[in-house]
Amino acid sequence: MSFLEILAALGRGVGNTALVTLACATTGMAVGLAIASLRRTGPRALTPLLDAYVYVFRGVPLLVLLFLVYFGLPSLGLKVPPLLAMVLSLGLIAGAYLAEVFRGALDLVDPSEILAAKAMGMRPIQIFTLLELPQMLRFALPGIINEFTTILKYSPFAYTVGIPEITKEAMTLAATTLRGLEIYLAVGVLYFALYRLFLLGLHRVERHFRIPGIVPP
Amino acid sequence: MSNWGSFQRDLLEQMPLILDGLVRTLQLTAVISVTGLLMGVLVFYLTLSPQAAVKRLTQAYISFFVGMPLIVLLFLMYYGLPQWGLRPSPFVVAAVGFTLNVGAYNAAYLTTAYNGLDHSELEAARAQGFSPHQVFRFITLPQVLRLSVPALTNQVIGNLKDSSVAFLIQYTELFARIQELASTNFQFFKAYCLAALVYLALVSVIVLAARALERRVAMPGLRSA
Amino acid sequence: MALIEIRDLVKEYDGRQVLAGVNLDLCEGDLKVVMGPSGCGKTTLLRCLNRLVDPTSGSIRVRGEEVTRPGVDVRALRQSIGFVFQQFALYRHLTVLDNVTLGLRKLRGMGPAQAHEKAAYELSRLDMAAHHDKYPAQISGGQKQRVASARALAMDPTVIVFDEPTSALDPIMSREVASMIERLNADRVTMLCVTHDLQLARHLPDRIVYLEQGRVRAEGSFADLAQDCPDAQVRTFFQHAGATA
Repeated sequence: MSFLEILAALGRGVGNTALVTLACATTGMAVGLAIASLRRTGPRALTPLLDAYVYVFRGVPLLVLLFLVYFGLPSLGLKVPPLLAMVLSLGLIAGAYLAEVFRGALDLVDPSEILAAKAMGMRPIQIFTLLELPQMLRFALPGIINEFTTILKYSPFAYTVGIPEITKEAMTLAATTLRGLEIYLAVGVLYFALYRLFLLGLHRVERHFRIPGIVPP
Repeated sequence: MSNWGSFQRDLLEQMPLILDGLVRTLQLTAVISVTGLLMGVLVFYLTLSPQAAVKRLTQAYISFFVGMPLIVLLFLMYYGLPQWGLRPSPFVVAAVGFTLNVGAYNAAYLTTAYNGLDHSELEAARAQGFSPHQVFRFITLPQVLRLSVPALTNQVIGNLKDSSVAFLIQYTELFARIQELASTNFQFFKAYCLAALVYLALVSVIVLAARALERRVAMPGLRSA
Repeated sequence: MALIEIRDLVKEYDGRQVLAGVNLDLCEGDLKVVMGPSGCGKTTLLRCLNRLVDPTSGSIRVRGEEVTRPGVDVRALRQSIGFVFQQFALYRHLTVLDNVTLGLRKLRGMGPAQAHEKAAYELSRLDMAAHHDKYPAQISGGQKQRVASARALAMDPTVIVFDEPTSALDPIMSREVASMIERLNADRVTMLCVTHDLQLARHLPDRIVYLEQGRVRAEGSFADLAQDCPDAQVRTFFQHAGATA
């Protein structure tokens, strides 16, 4: 079995790797944005809860959370499908990290612009959606890109809940051919290629949204 | 309630094993935090090399290990090396794999801090007659390390959490032991909650230590990124 | 009746009076320049006008309507007062044109075409027609000041207030701002301008209000205050300006 044949066999898992990564990245963005906007415009009483969420989900290892969701919840009568289990672990953890990225980025919005919007007669929610959010997202872009690539690099753990992505295909292949060295080397090369490709795409998005004068630190 | 009782009984019974797992988790975390830092400093030093080839090679190293999932690296060594007749223990595989991976991340943090330094200071040192090696040892490294304290301590927290991955290559650390506990009484939810709480507590200890360290090494006039 | 009547306006912070009973009238088409040493309460006075700061006592009437009492629609009030900030506070993520259309579309409910037309008119009247698609980071300080002014003008406000319009600008650009304010004055735009820039005050033809320790100490034209003011300290303040001009 040549290296190329190995790569071709592993290629079957690329779709699922992409699916897991995108599902978790989308969830992470939604959760992170929800936390950031609730912190800014929601009731004060929520803040300790949001802080607790961020602390817990940044403190628990992914595998522990993934197993808690996938193997633990059924013992409470809740059966969770594999992809949802990834979303509820990797996605929610990414949400906590992104919430921190957004918090830092929101602090970079110039207070004088916020005051100007207030002096114009804007509602707090208008100030948030028309001014703070669009600027904050641009300041947060490097952090978002970083988190998205982290999600890709943690996506292999999807094999532990039976999702046939790249790593799972590799294990099956390694078990039948006993050529772990070539196979896992191919896996590494494949992830590296995906990582570079993903990064390329994300940088293209970044360039598209870049505005002169809004430079992330 | 009877369930809870059986869980507690099993927990107590297996406590020595769990504690042994905890010790192994802490051992692995400590080892890779130290070797990862040393590796990071070494790679960072090499990125400053005047030789273009060395520079390019170290940059390729950083880029490759930052871009490759850790678990793939561990599998490569654990399932691949026996093909060459090498059968390193799970601990050795984990220690080496993590060191390569963590070293790449740490080198990247140090490089970022270095890029933010006032480079006229370094030129002044060179003008004063310090050798490039002395400039690195006495001026660059101390400043860069201090500036990177938050990133480096975050990496230690990451190391602790990621050490749970090592059970996938049969290193019987904390998480592996807690799974054994779960499989004896099938109370998976409780067992994994317990694991989560233990990791949270350990992370909190590192966070507190990191804050104390940050205060100690803070330099007036130098702000970390 | 004056367009804006300020009576006995007091603002206290922690028992310290920043405004200690200010009286000021502004009629339709007036341009008044409020001057005084730093800390005299200039900025607080402006911020009371659109309720960014709530006064402790006294009253402000806009078109005869009391705006300091509770229950006033503060957002409607703010929309009727164009505020140009010291640092311009242009929205960095929006182009010059969008900085001006944002309020028209989101606060006035105008359609895009109508808002575009109105914004283009205000920008061309301040010679910014060629810069519609630039971002704030790509234009000079004087140009930013003009965009901020166009943004305020576009809302057809009752009055435009300038808070230290030249403090962030070099002398050449300051002169540009002075001529812009003069032009708006010729167009009968009602304006209140707070500044400590004596050069700017000299170039503006209308009345100067000298504020000190939270009170109006003198009011008159630049020449009046420099030569005929009975208050020697005020005369010195303005004569010094004449000497350095």
